[in-house]
Amino acid sequence: MGALPSIRQRPGPYAFIALVAVVVWAWFARPSFFVTFGLVFLVGTVAAFLTNGRYALQRILGIIPILLVVSFIVFTLMATLPGDPAINILGPAATPDAVERVNAELGLDEPFFNRYGNWLGDAVMGDLGESIQLREDISAGVSRTITVSLQLMTYALILAVLIAFPLGVYTAYRNGQRQDRTINTVMLGFFAVPPFVLALVLVLFLAIGGLDVFGVTIGGKWLPGARYVPFGESVVDHFKHMLLPSFALALGISAVFMRLLRSDMIATLRLPFIDLARSKGVSPTRILWRHALRPSMFTLLTVMGFTVGALIGGSVITEIIFSLPGIGSYMFGAIISRDFIAVQGGTMVIATLYILILVMVDFLYLALDPRLRTGGGTGLGG
Amino acid sequence: MADLQDGLQDGVIDSTARRAEAESDQVVAADTGQVEAHIEHPSAGTRTKKPFGAMFWIAATFLVLLALAAIFAELLPYDFDERFQNPETGRSITDEGPSLKHPLGTDGSGRDIFIRVIYGAQISLVIASVGATLALVFGGLIGLTAGYYRGRVDSIITTFTDATLVIPPLILALSLILFLDNEAERRILILIVVFVLLSLAPITRVVRASTLVWAEREFVLASKTMGARNGRIMFRDVLPNVAPALISYSLIIMAQLIVVEGAIAFVGLSVPPPTPTWGDMINKGRSDLGSVPHITMMPAMAMFLTVLALNFIGDKMQERFEPRESVL
Repeated sequence: MGALPSIRQRPGPYAFIALVAVVVWAWFARPSFFVTFGLVFLVGTVAAFLTNGRYALQRILGIIPILLVVSFIVFTLMATLPGDPAINILGPAATPDAVERVNAELGLDEPFFNRYGNWLGDAVMGDLGESIQLREDISAGVSRTITVSLQLMTYALILAVLIAFPLGVYTAYRNGQRQDRTINTVMLGFFAVPPFVLALVLVLFLAIGGLDVFGVTIGGKWLPGARYVPFGESVVDHFKHMLLPSFALALGISAVFMRLLRSDMIATLRLPFIDLARSKGVSPTRILWRHALRPSMFTLLTVMGFTVGALIGGSVITEIIFSLPGIGSYMFGAIISRDFIAVQGGTMVIATLYILILVMVDFLYLALDPRLRTGGGTGLGG
Repeated sequence: MADLQDGLQDGVIDSTARRAEAESDQVVAADTGQVEAHIEHPSAGTRTKKPFGAMFWIAATFLVLLALAAIFAELLPYDFDERFQNPETGRSITDEGPSLKHPLGTDGSGRDIFIRVIYGAQISLVIASVGATLALVFGGLIGLTAGYYRGRVDSIITTFTDATLVIPPLILALSLILFLDNEAERRILILIVVFVLLSLAPITRVVRASTLVWAEREFVLASKTMGARNGRIMFRDVLPNVAPALISYSLIIMAQLIVVEGAIAFVGLSVPPPTPTWGDMINKGRSDLGSVPHITMMPAMAMFLTVLALNFIGDKMQERFEPRESVL
């Protein structure tokens, strides 16, 4: 084998380099969020096609029926809900004339399936319509706010992984012992804290001065309160403001991750190859981190995909508490003002991202699990 | 025929019928020299019963006490919107910390937080338990059908559950609540309907996956060979085995529903005031978090403990019924 595996044999490293290039480019060029995400997805898809074309094609084609069903459900829900959108826009005192005019403007006087077809066709072209309330293009609004949510989600995910991996590996190593049981119980406790309660507790102890217990103050004003500072404005301030919200989201997730990693790791540690490594005299640290971790990560990876997807639309309350202008806040505003077109469009974007992320996770398996790579490379390079 | 069927239910079957499939469970009956296959009947299959442990019973006691308190809340000496006043000065006792008279303190309007937390438990527990139970029944039926019949029925159901799972639940819930109804009186009903819709897909998935596994087992095949109808197999053979895992999972679903109800109440869209809800109490105390944290933290603590207890019990039960899948 040569110094570098050919791109057909092992596209993984090349895909990684391409992803780094995309991120660096996005950092400086600041394209719209959808362009960046599209490029990332494209790189992943190409790499997957090179590794195992059949599998990749199956996954990509599998997206279409799900997306159709999702769009139909979302559209039907919003279209058949009681309440006249025109009256919601104009207020209860609207004249029948005005109602008719707005209905025509929104295309609401057409038959159901025509409306669905029009909406879907426009949505595929990236046109989600105009927000009734904000008088703004929904695609633009969603793109602007979802960037914030994705930053939040990314930081939360990184924090959760940083907490979960060491603890998961350690508890698997100490399976059944006192340390294992203690950490497990504590993490179950963290799992049970509702994120918005955790957010308030963190604010109380870390941002607004803490609690007086018999004259002793626990906590302090170490971190700033609720505000969003864009990354471009001040990197330090950006992270200072994002720390509490991402931690509030991360703690519960890290408990799930840790427990999954732990149970899979325990199963891996019972396999013969671990006995072999042990009898060769490999140190426990090396066995745990180099030999056992990778084959124990697959369930966790799937769940990570689900978690990331769920976080995109699941941080509504956290965003409200910390006044972050993310997609959660945007959607909440749209819901409160009964802006059903914006709710429709936003939900569709979130659901689509969720599905694409799940597909990306499936592609990531190809890079991590040599057994899934058929044809092309032999896996000898790795 | 009936005897044979009973014998099946007891988990013992003559080996001549099903020797090959039951290889691993074969036992040689020494005295007769006959080979008998003991097909383990899984509903009786918890061989080593690990004790639940003290924490489990503490959690269970807490939930029972909370439920009893919520049911009998009307027997409490004061109403939830009673504003307490100092009898000497005549001023209302606002923002007071925990004391003997008011174990969890009073809020900004001088109302007893303990009493409000108990009344809040009514809403949380009723909505979560009714929602989870109904979802359990419907989701169980749908999942059982999908997992048992497979084929086209399964792929249609799976596509729908997959599709609903990617729609963000809180956004769906909030828009349904707002778009469905403005009338506050029917809010509890609407909430329950929304919660059933939300938990239907996850429960269906779990039941379907579990049914797929159990429907492959020998005793199901045996029932089929003996001509049992599909309905009978589904409800007499598969369901009892799917049920334990399902019930522990529904406890975890219930815990999640309590959190979702809290979130909905937090943004003011759950049961409207004056009825106290935990989420609303947490939100109302938020502006004075720095000076009087107990107004926020007491209901928050109640919610946390309830969710923790439910998770803990669900977790322990899952550990007992399915040792290998005891992960959330």
